[in-house]
Amino acid sequence: MQVPLTANHQSLRNHRLDGVLDWAQMLSGVGLILFMWAHMLLVGSVLLSPGIMNGIADFFESSGMAQVGGPLIFLLFLGHFVLAARKIPFRLEGQKTILEQAKLLHHQDTWLWVVQATTAMVILIMGAIHMWAVLSDLPIVALKCAETLQKNSGWLLFYLVLAPLVHVHLGIGLYRIAVKWGFVGRAGRKGLKRFVNLLILVSVGISVLTLFRFWFMTV
Amino acid sequence: MGRLLKFNIFRYNPQDPESTPHMESFVLEETDSMTLFIVLNRIREEQDPSLQFDFCCRAGICGSCGMVINGRPGLACHTKTKDLPEEITLLPLPVFQLVGDLSVDTGSWFRELYDTVESWIHTKKQFDPNAPEERMEDAVAESIYELDRCIECGCCVAACGTARMRPDFLGAAGINKVGRFLIDPRDERTEQDYYEIIGNDMGIFGCMGLLACEDVCPKHMPLQDQLGFLRRKMGITALKNFFRK
Ligand code: HEM
Ligand code: SF4
Ligand code: SF4
Ligand code: FES
Repeated sequence: MQVPLTANHQSLRNHRLDGVLDWAQMLSGVGLILFMWAHMLLVGSVLLSPGIMNGIADFFESSGMAQVGGPLIFLLFLGHFVLAARKIPFRLEGQKTILEQAKLLHHQDTWLWVVQATTAMVILIMGAIHMWAVLSDLPIVALKCAETLQKNSGWLLFYLVLAPLVHVHLGIGLYRIAVKWGFVGRAGRKGLKRFVNLLILVSVGISVLTLFRFWFMTV
Repeated sequence: MGRLLKFNIFRYNPQDPESTPHMESFVLEETDSMTLFIVLNRIREEQDPSLQFDFCCRAGICGSCGMVINGRPGLACHTKTKDLPEEITLLPLPVFQLVGDLSVDTGSWFRELYDTVESWIHTKKQFDPNAPEERMEDAVAESIYELDRCIECGCCVAACGTARMRPDFLGAAGINKVGRFLIDPRDERTEQDYYEIIGNDMGIFGCMGLLACEDVCPKHMPLQDQLGFLRRKMGITALKNFFRK
């Protein structure tokens, strides 16, 4: 343990930032959750009809929201990474410790954290590639998405990996925020877990259906 | 005849240069209402007098018999063999310094913790030994008592992934201790004073919400709720400080 930092001297009255950073981490996570849900529903609108999806995409582009919002989301994404990375062990020693701990305890929530940190790193790379690919090639049109996927099934595979990872990470994140901040207490923990499982299932379902809608679209 | 139980026990004596960490197996016949406390004493009496482990109250009160039982930190005296499979692995608690075999030094750790969180009532009032004790609402007294039930066994700390990754982390027991004084009307420390102790990554903001502490605590302390309460409380203090600056 460290030297106590607790003497109540005026000069030590700290305005340390840990608490503010914790808020920022949580809020960046919440921001990304809201964005991802909106994103899922917007792209998923292709399931209703490609026309609706094109209409929505057109609205965001002609109003400039895609051009401005896209990079902002990218910043949020990077910001969230920087904030959350404070908790990820980047040294082998730390990684081994948390893995050993999870294995020893066979404790679900500890494993969930390992899953969260691992999916995070993959999402960081794949998400960045995805954002670059889409935002550097506006406008977003259903047919073009379909064409990209069908011309190169590598992209289909890419998204089939990325989408579930994002929703798993998102679901665990939601669970974690709720228990960490005490929004859900001891009594509600089981129910919360069930809700998050269902949420992940439904979200992955919608995403995969969307991808296959593009895959089978006639171009 | 009862089940034959096989115990794989971690052996290592850091005092002995010849000794190396290894696992050793002992077989024992299960008896009625057998606890791990009984098991360990029988092994020591009947099979190997050099086996080191701690116990004192054998009733889940003193907190000295914490160990890792088939992967989970728990109290040996509180654990019945009938709730366990035939093969049982016993390891010393991680995080704490190893004394030998299953015995670890939780005492020094908690001592240091209590220095850090200043685990005593801070008051400027002069103590008058002749005055009657000040009165306190029943409800307040009970909620303090609820948080005071911690027996310092160290299980929550040993189970905590955060505590294992960063040795300066106060752990659920430490953070809970601060919560205990925070609701005590006799303690004159302010929100800011508490913030300086746990309003950082060594304290409440370091906790990643893995809830292993909640899941292993043998006294079923309300750790999840307590951590959530303190995170909100200290989070609000953090914002106040940030914007007041
Ligand atoms: C679509 C993308 C993402 C979403 C929706 C998302 C969502 C979330 C949420 C809601 C949390 C919980 C926050 C908290 O506990 O305060 C979280 C935690 C976390 N995120 Fe993300 N995230 C995304 C991308 C990323 C990326 C790219 C990384 C890169 C490393 C990352 C790393 C982490 C880590 C390590 C945590 C755990 C932090 C902790 O336990 O304290 N996330 N994420
Ligand atoms: S909070 Fe529970 S697990 Fe932690 S030291 Fe106290 S009694 Fe043991
Ligand atoms: S909830 Fe916090 S204190 Fe408890 S085990 Fe998890 S990280 Fe440790
Ligand atoms: S011997 Fe005291 S708690 Fe187990």
